Amino acid sequence: MNNLLKKFFIIILIIVFLIAFSSSYQSSNIGNVAVVVAMGFDISDTNNLNITFQFTNASSVSDTGSSEKTEPTLFSIDAPSISSAINLMNTNIGKEVNLSHCKLIVFSEELASRGIEEEIYTLSNNPDVRPSANIVVSKSTAKTYIENSKPTLDNLITKYYETFVNSSQFTGYNSNATIGDFFYSMTCDACEPYAMLGGISSQNSSSLSNSSSPTDNTIKSTFNPASGQYISENTGLAVFKGSTFVGELNEIENLCFMIVNNKLSGFLVSIPNPLKNDSFIDVYMTPVLNTKVDAKIVNDSPFISIDCNFSGRVYSIDESVNYSDIDTLKQISNSCNSYLESILSDYLYKTSKELNADINKLGKFIRKNFLTESDYQNYNWSSKYKDTFFDIDVDCSIKSSFLLTRT
Amino acid sequence: MIKSKFTTVEAIMLVLTIFLTPSILSMPKNLIDTTRSSILINIVYVTIIAIFIAILIYRLLKNFPSYDIIDISEYLGGKCFKSIIGTIFILYFLISSSILLRNFCECLKMVYYPMTSVVFIILAFIIATCLSSKLEFSTAVKVNVIVLPLLVISVLFIFFANIKNFSFENVFPILGEGVYNTFIIGLGNLGAFLGIIILYFLPPYLKKPEDMKKIAITTTIIAGIYILFCVSIILFMFRFLLNVDEVMPLYYTTRYIEFGDFFQRLESFFLFIWILVLTSFVTINIKLSMDIFKKLTNAKNISPMVYSFGLIIFAIAIFPKDYAVSKFIESTLYSYWTFGISFALGIGILIFANLKKRKNAHLPKQKEVLEANE
Repeated sequence: MNNLLKKFFIIILIIVFLIAFSSSYQSSNIGNVAVVVAMGFDISDTNNLNITFQFTNASSVSDTGSSEKTEPTLFSIDAPSISSAINLMNTNIGKEVNLSHCKLIVFSEELASRGIEEEIYTLSNNPDVRPSANIVVSKSTAKTYIENSKPTLDNLITKYYETFVNSSQFTGYNSNATIGDFFYSMTCDACEPYAMLGGISSQNSSSLSNSSSPTDNTIKSTFNPASGQYISENTGLAVFKGSTFVGELNEIENLCFMIVNNKLSGFLVSIPNPLKNDSFIDVYMTPVLNTKVDAKIVNDSPFISIDCNFSGRVYSIDESVNYSDIDTLKQISNSCNSYLESILSDYLYKTSKELNADINKLGKFIRKNFLTESDYQNYNWSSKYKDTFFDIDVDCSIKSSFLLTRT
Repeated sequence: MIKSKFTTVEAIMLVLTIFLTPSILSMPKNLIDTTRSSILINIVYVTIIAIFIAILIYRLLKNFPSYDIIDISEYLGGKCFKSIIGTIFILYFLISSSILLRNFCECLKMVYYPMTSVVFIILAFIIATCLSSKLEFSTAVKVNVIVLPLLVISVLFIFFANIKNFSFENVFPILGEGVYNTFIIGLGNLGAFLGIIILYFLPPYLKKPEDMKKIAITTTIIAGIYILFCVSIILFMFRFLLNVDEVMPLYYTTRYIEFGDFFQRLESFFLFIWILVLTSFVTINIKLSMDIFKKLTNAKNISPMVYSFGLIIFAIAIFPKDYAVSKFIESTLYSYWTFGISFALGIGILIFANLKKRKNAHLPKQKEVLEANE
């Protein structure tokens, strides 16, 4: 009798747990979810949010899922908030929107200029949204940007979103800006957030063809000289103050940002040729040591010293030049030093004087000058950043060229 | 009479379970709240004090070999006093299990079971712990020897896997909220060493009671180092967590662990380890409560009490109306209560019992002197 009662009790428990957990299982079942790979935020005509969801076939979210090219599907919806947009979308598509594979979050420039604090808090609060999801501010509407983000060399859109920022480590022309880092910087008292700057290349192709040849000082998304099958671009950086978009950085400024933040494994840079007037040579630089930052307070103004150390090899070589000659290499090194010091200085003063946004998190270095948190808070770093003075010291050591050392 | 006897390693793991398990919830964040960037100094400071407290407890227990705090209470105040103290400690073990269980299950619900009532998630834990509590205490402790290192490894893994995200400059301003907050108000962070409470019950369980001092000091030092790692992860990684409240700060940091494109989303692995640790924690608390209950009632067979204790834990766990209430209990009420019981009540009983023993030891000598004089 006792044994029977025990068995009965176990069966009842199993039934109870089956019923209790089946609803959660059902909600996360791959057949019942609509997998979002990208989200775009625009301002609608009614001043609401216009949210674009890019869905993909659930089986194509991983490399192993499918090798066939699957066309993603776009849906847009007007709603006062993200949560209500998701609810409306759930109703319309008859499935539950799942953001756990959302790799790209795009904000239009218009919305970003208005401030995206609420959207960032909501997305960071969502357990499904990965902190590694990339964040882009699009010069065009977010919907247009997502529509035109198509993989050209990959079959899968998810694979494209996973890898499209990988080049940042060896070019320095874009950055792997994530929502996790954005949220951190937005709530941090020693830094400001940033996002990738996106755009559509075809929009300005005519204006580009009419203008003079672009240099790396002018190139950024929508002003990119590249042409080909790809349409969306991700070059440069969108700078925020708090949660509000305040300015853009072009690709060389983005490179400086990457140098100061130690996020580069190497980069190619065109420097004035010391051996020939009005010409440039390309040098491939690799950091020897991490960029050292030291911050002091001098006469109540922040004074920040930045030391960079690179070794480099000449990429574009000229005729009749001996690239194994010590004097020649020294001249190129000196040219490199002054060029990099100049662009780093311009970049840092632009972030401080013009944008007043410490996207390099330099505030964390100033904290050592204070004994207590209240002293630091009273100093008010975010308002003092515009008064910062920079001392930049770049030490480049050009080793030689690559295969040919003498022409 | 306690049947189960533990080796020194098992005893260390047992004590560490009580010390370390709360770290998977909001404990590291609560520690940082009072001192902010000076938390590392504060943890070193409170660890040193905790070591002295552990040594003090060992010294006070030394005069009562193989006695636990319940036996000592009986010696001090008789059976009635023993019953009161025993009941307080049983309540302590059951409530601490309930609060931890509730908050952990709330997180599980948020992440994995959004459509399931938290009651069923708690119930699943209760059934698992009741079944494991039906086994011998030594079995639970042996399993714990395997499970607890996983917790330590998981935290070390989080630390080293996230090291690329660390900003070591976050340790500045070095004095955080100031000297007073770091060294005086920061004394409240001794609450992180609530596991000290188990030292009061350890002597009868030890195969080698002479290792008690070793166990007390070793566990406190390991707990100190472990807590240092936990708070370092949060401090170095996310200064914003000082301003933002997270459900499970350590869980939050696991979401940032990625090794290339292949190894991503490792957080479920950590949650799995923490589920095992929490089950072990609740099992140990139930077993300790049962042993105390046995001492109080002199009952021969207390095995069915497992279900009663399980039900009490379940009832207390579902009692808070929502997560905000259970979080408040965990971060505020529970820590004050812990302070009162772990340090004030426990050490108080031991000091008075030692004084009584010393007084009683003098009495026969005084009698002898009086008789000799006569």
